Amino acid sequence: MIEVKNIQKKFGDKVVIEEVSAQMEAGRCNLIIGASGSGKTVLMKCMVGLLQPDQGSIYYNGNSFTAMDTESKTMIRKEIGMLFQGSALFDSLTVEENIMFPLNMFTKDTTGEKLKRVNTVLDRVNLPGVNKKYPAELSGGMKKRVALARAIVLNPKYLFCDEPNSGLDPQTSLVIDKLIRDLTLEYQITTVINTHDMNSVMEIGDYILYMYQGKKEWEGTRKEIIFSKNQRLNDFIFASEFLRDAKDMRMLEETGKIPNERDMDQMTRP
Amino acid sequence: MTLLSDIGRFLLMLKGMLKKLENRQMYWKELMRQCTEIGFGSLGIVTIISVFIGAVSTIQTAYQLVSPLIPISTIAQIVRDTVILEFAPTLVCVVLAGVAGSRIASELGNMRVSEQIDALEIMGINTKTYLILPKIIAAMLMIPLLVIIAMALGIWGGRLAGTASGIISPNLFDKGLMSDFLPYNVFFALTKSYVFAFILSSIPAFYGYHVRGGALEIGKASTKAVVVSCVLILFADYILSALLL
Repeated sequence: MIEVKNIQKKFGDKVVIEEVSAQMEAGRCNLIIGASGSGKTVLMKCMVGLLQPDQGSIYYNGNSFTAMDTESKTMIRKEIGMLFQGSALFDSLTVEENIMFPLNMFTKDTTGEKLKRVNTVLDRVNLPGVNKKYPAELSGGMKKRVALARAIVLNPKYLFCDEPNSGLDPQTSLVIDKLIRDLTLEYQITTVINTHDMNSVMEIGDYILYMYQGKKEWEGTRKEIIFSKNQRLNDFIFASEFLRDAKDMRMLEETGKIPNERDMDQMTRP
Repeated sequence: MTLLSDIGRFLLMLKGMLKKLENRQMYWKELMRQCTEIGFGSLGIVTIISVFIGAVSTIQTAYQLVSPLIPISTIAQIVRDTVILEFAPTLVCVVLAGVAGSRIASELGNMRVSEQIDALEIMGINTKTYLILPKIIAAMLMIPLLVIIAMALGIWGGRLAGTASGIISPNLFDKGLMSDFLPYNVFFALTKSYVFAFILSSIPAFYGYHVRGGALEIGKASTKAVVVSCVLILFADYILSALLL
């Protein structure tokens, strides 16, 4: 579990995050949503320690990450996997070497054991047989899956995903979302996802934190978001007429006024 | 103010490199990769520059030595000393600041803007130690070797040009090479090459590591890294010459 308490971050005089608190449970997809510039990436960077918050604390399973010394922080970081917006694969390494990198750095496994682990995670993200390819030879969706494989290769307790669907087509986005959700449930990972993809919000948002101009504006589940009366949240999530209609339909389904015959798994299957 | 801040950040970067290694084998592998890229990657340009510098030195020295009182073998002495004292260490390192320096700055800059450095940090790896230290060590190992090669090739180029153009016979050139040779000059040149190697690896690493923005900023950082490295190499050249000669 990750707990964020009264986090504040300034750049110069500009307050980017103001008094944000949240509790993110294990085995759930915790989504941070908000418009561009609302502070969600800065919040995530504070959570993983890439930025130091000016005020407040972050707890990993009850241990204060912000108060830890460098060595203890490094230990926590070894339990963190992160999927970056641009995948952040090492250009000069093959897919296999990219995924093997954390294993080479932090384990004493034999090459055979490491290869087996690499193939296991590649199978898990549905990318068998790309071991010897370089990142430049892969499509955007494949790069994301390789990055996800690298993020989970050390069996992390915490998985952070920064806009995992940016630049992907809707179908590939659903595949990535489903993969993240399945991995979260399978390994009981505390997953934190930064997104402004509304499909992700409605499909995998077990806990949703909506940020507006650096502040926590709303929090709840994907069911609660349908019934929310928060105007800013509704303007953000249901921005188009199509989405507003979809929301009305979902409300009617949830209240039992029309039958809900959809099967989530079927919907997310590529 | 920016200069002071940059110096402070540069010193902090150097301090940040000196941390415990997570996995010696991985660092060794990275060091070897950098040795290959900086050393063997620059061998071609160093060879070409050195041979031509030696050749041009011979021809220009002969052009200026018009007095019949000065023995012709003096050409070899002058070529030897200018190549060893100045051309091999300084000119080669200025060129390497462009070749290896811009490569270091753009590699690190690209890693920064594409979040590869952040990815390493998240894994719990000290990126300054893993990415910068091997580059500096590799430069300090390989560049003095390149400078020694440049000395030999420069003198050989001078001998070749002298013989080919009929300025000086090979025997006379060899005789001139042997006379009044000071081994201290080689020590001085190697001292310079160590200092220059540190400058041309650490300065581009600093600019590349601290890039903010996108492709345009990588280009700017790379150019700035090369310019600052060249200026610092020439400044260090003056200081070392004043102190050691």
